[in-house]
Amino acid sequence: MIIAGFALLTFAAEQTDTGTADQATLEKVMPTKPAYSPYVGRNFPTRPLFGDQHLHTAFSMDAGAFGCRLGPREAYRFARGEEVISSTGQPVKLSRPLDWLVVSDHSDGFGFFPQLMGGDPELLATPQGRKWYDQIKSGHGAEAAMDIIVSFGQGKMPKGFPLPGTRAYRGAWQEIINAAEAFNDPGRFTAIIGYEWTSNTGGNNLHRNVLFRENGAKASLVEPFTTMKPLGSDNPEDLWKWMAATEEKTGSEVLAIAHNGNLSNGRMFPTVEAFGKKIDREYCETRLKWERLYEVTQTKGTGEAHPYLSPNDEFANFEIWDKANLDGSVPKTKDMLEFEYARSAYKNGLKLEEQFGANPYKFGLVSGSDAHTALSAMEEDNFFGKTTPQEPSSERLTKAFINNPKTGVTVMDWEVGASGYAAVWATENTRAAIFDAMKRRETYSTTGPRMAVRFFGGWNFEAEDANNRLPAALGYTKGVPMGGDLPDAPAGKSPTFLVAALKDPMGANLDRIQVIKGWLDAQGEVHEQIHNVVWGDADKRKPDAKGKLPPVGDTVDVENATWSNTIGDPELITVWKDPNFDAKQRAFYYVRVLEIPTPRWTAYDVKRFGNKALPGTTMKLQERAYTSPIWYTPGT
Amino acid sequence: MNRILKEPLLHFLLLGAGLFMVYGLMSKPGDSNAPGKIIITQGQIEHLVDGFTKAWLRPPTSEELAGLVRDRVREEVYCREAVALGLDKDDTVIRRRLRQKLEFISDDVAALVEPTDADLSVYLQAHAGKFRVPQQFTFSQVYLNPEKHGKNLARDTAQLLAQLKQAGDKADLSLLGDAFLLDQQFTALPASEVAKQFGEKFAAQLSGLSPGQWQGPVESGYGVHLVRVSERTEGHLPALAEVRDAVRREWDNARRLEANEQFYQNLLKFYTVSIEQPAAEPERKIAAIK
Repeated sequence: MIIAGFALLTFAAEQTDTGTADQATLEKVMPTKPAYSPYVGRNFPTRPLFGDQHLHTAFSMDAGAFGCRLGPREAYRFARGEEVISSTGQPVKLSRPLDWLVVSDHSDGFGFFPQLMGGDPELLATPQGRKWYDQIKSGHGAEAAMDIIVSFGQGKMPKGFPLPGTRAYRGAWQEIINAAEAFNDPGRFTAIIGYEWTSNTGGNNLHRNVLFRENGAKASLVEPFTTMKPLGSDNPEDLWKWMAATEEKTGSEVLAIAHNGNLSNGRMFPTVEAFGKKIDREYCETRLKWERLYEVTQTKGTGEAHPYLSPNDEFANFEIWDKANLDGSVPKTKDMLEFEYARSAYKNGLKLEEQFGANPYKFGLVSGSDAHTALSAMEEDNFFGKTTPQEPSSERLTKAFINNPKTGVTVMDWEVGASGYAAVWATENTRAAIFDAMKRRETYSTTGPRMAVRFFGGWNFEAEDANNRLPAALGYTKGVPMGGDLPDAPAGKSPTFLVAALKDPMGANLDRIQVIKGWLDAQGEVHEQIHNVVWGDADKRKPDAKGKLPPVGDTVDVENATWSNTIGDPELITVWKDPNFDAKQRAFYYVRVLEIPTPRWTAYDVKRFGNKALPGTTMKLQERAYTSPIWYTPGT
Repeated sequence: MNRILKEPLLHFLLLGAGLFMVYGLMSKPGDSNAPGKIIITQGQIEHLVDGFTKAWLRPPTSEELAGLVRDRVREEVYCREAVALGLDKDDTVIRRRLRQKLEFISDDVAALVEPTDADLSVYLQAHAGKFRVPQQFTFSQVYLNPEKHGKNLARDTAQLLAQLKQAGDKADLSLLGDAFLLDQQFTALPASEVAKQFGEKFAAQLSGLSPGQWQGPVESGYGVHLVRVSERTEGHLPALAEVRDAVRREWDNARRLEANEQFYQNLLKFYTVSIEQPAAEPERKIAAIK
């Protein structure tokens, strides 16, 4: 716990207990007097840049079929904070601009939708093409879209599907690039070039977003990797080969961000074999090289932890989608879960590192929206849905999103989450700086709110560091930021962490900060433990003997879709020391920040449309942030 | 010449001429029973070969090519007959696609126009708000966390303010107020960035403070702040050369929307639109189209 650091009556001359030794070091990093030149300054990031690395537009075949009519340019306009008209004709604007955006349309079938709608004879000659055309024509676009997703997942796309190398395909990719070039505005708004590689064999989600570091001239030298054979492949190892070749050919670095392990039916984070091949050192090293980040939350559920895997985690049951794979064709079984969630992947990664000398699951965390509307609108009170039919309407609370008649798997529209945005600690708002921060994993994931979260690990943080007025400067001086590795352990020392969170300036107060530790013991078993390290209303809330904290309370008025910031704290900061450290054991530490309860988008819908939600609909939530871990490896 | 190129009427005439030509090509030859002519050009054959090669990763054999050409002829015959029978009418997909194609043409016509610097300057002036470099603030702030002061917040704030005023720019901020994750000193921070970090309310109050002395309390979403603005740089409209790309992008977009609208309005003049009103439900009355 921290002591309130209010130094009202003390001046510099009288005060020495913040550590004079640090002061000299600090001044090097951050001079107390501003320099004449405003550009001289700190060499570390001072503000998290919020954005979305996962957004689809009408250029994605399923988004088009769902009725999306907005393209990449409208997507950038909206993200920059301008008002646009949505595909359902509704004006929409963000509460405040995002700092950056990646338009990540599905690489398979760029240009498919215009081709289908144009009545391409080859496509319409196939029974499927004809069926979709008729469905869309008769106003059943959403059914057609689901059917397209299913057929795609089952590898049953009709002949005439546009492939890389065709004019339609090249034209679509070039327009995606041109739109990013037109809206990229270094220092103010960054448009990163990318696409989604949608490996979905058997309906099992192994999707990855691919991002380019450099500009359009370089990205134009290649066409995206697809999954349809013979040009593409559904095996991530082939994507990594494509990435290596692309770096060679274009001179632009690339990275891949996977998402929705929760819909992969146990295939996202394998430990024994993948695609019929045993996991080996090469697999571990290659995955580690290309997959620096994982998208841990988005509209189709949250993938940090699962209540079955973490029965002692009272907050694990949050926006969980665990009924089946992506198209609902194969119901979920419990044995699949271990290979789907980030926390268990972190744990298994320690085992694999012990076994092969490389950890394939040493990834940082980000969010994405995965909206198929060209609108990254993920605020609970301003949620424009995942797909065009889910844009605000009085019906969206009662319709089904996935409904597989064969298996009976149904996911309702209300189960879709208004989540989330990715925060990147970049030194400036440019493509290169954001990409580099992603590569060093200095990122965190939020379910929508823009809270600032700092997390530093080192061997010498002390309790009073939490009172320092320059916590970031101190953090970088004495430790490593989120996404980093603790240096070698000094004899007899335990790692210390400087942890801080500041609420969204427009949002709700904070409930608590938790540090989640996972480790590998001498017997080769993995464990996890959750520590409440600092919390709001600390004068009234005390943990019990087991460390469990009473709930923060609840001020949500569901009927009126309001809450008040009368509970919780606007800011939390502390220094935490691992009480059970063993220098011989591999470990990881990451932070989870929880807000006080607030109304979910469903509550705003009921309030605004005056309709009724279905029984069992979740009406409030505790929004949260997850940071990238800091790892400890013995003998490094 | 440039003036003429920009004239909407010219665009309209060009489009009209284009449409007329298309119509001429599509319609059946004359009223006579003479057979219609179908010519498969060398260019079309190359296009067929191209498409086949991309799909199959090899060129077609001569037999396959003959098949492709036969199919192309069949497509042409069916298309012409289908249009003659009016099968394209009342087909939502075909109608949408036709509308889209015409919109593409009008988009392209709008894109033909190359703006002069004078055009862009006029646009820049008229939409100054879009391109203005915002006000910038060099300021210091000390934060008070309401959770830590409770009922004494007002008293503690007043006390701290008095001390800050006494110390002026010599106050050692690193020991004052409560620990806070955001910086205490900012140099030339644009107002838009102030809003992102401290919220709109705080940013709005900042521009009302007179530079040079400690003032407050200034409220934000986090709590209260005491603030000393040492320098304020007023916002200004940048010269065209600095923002030409952005102005061009917005000008193109505005031009496109305007040209499309004008094109539609010109076409609409050729029609009288009457809409049957539902007698029973006056609340569903449909306004006149314009």
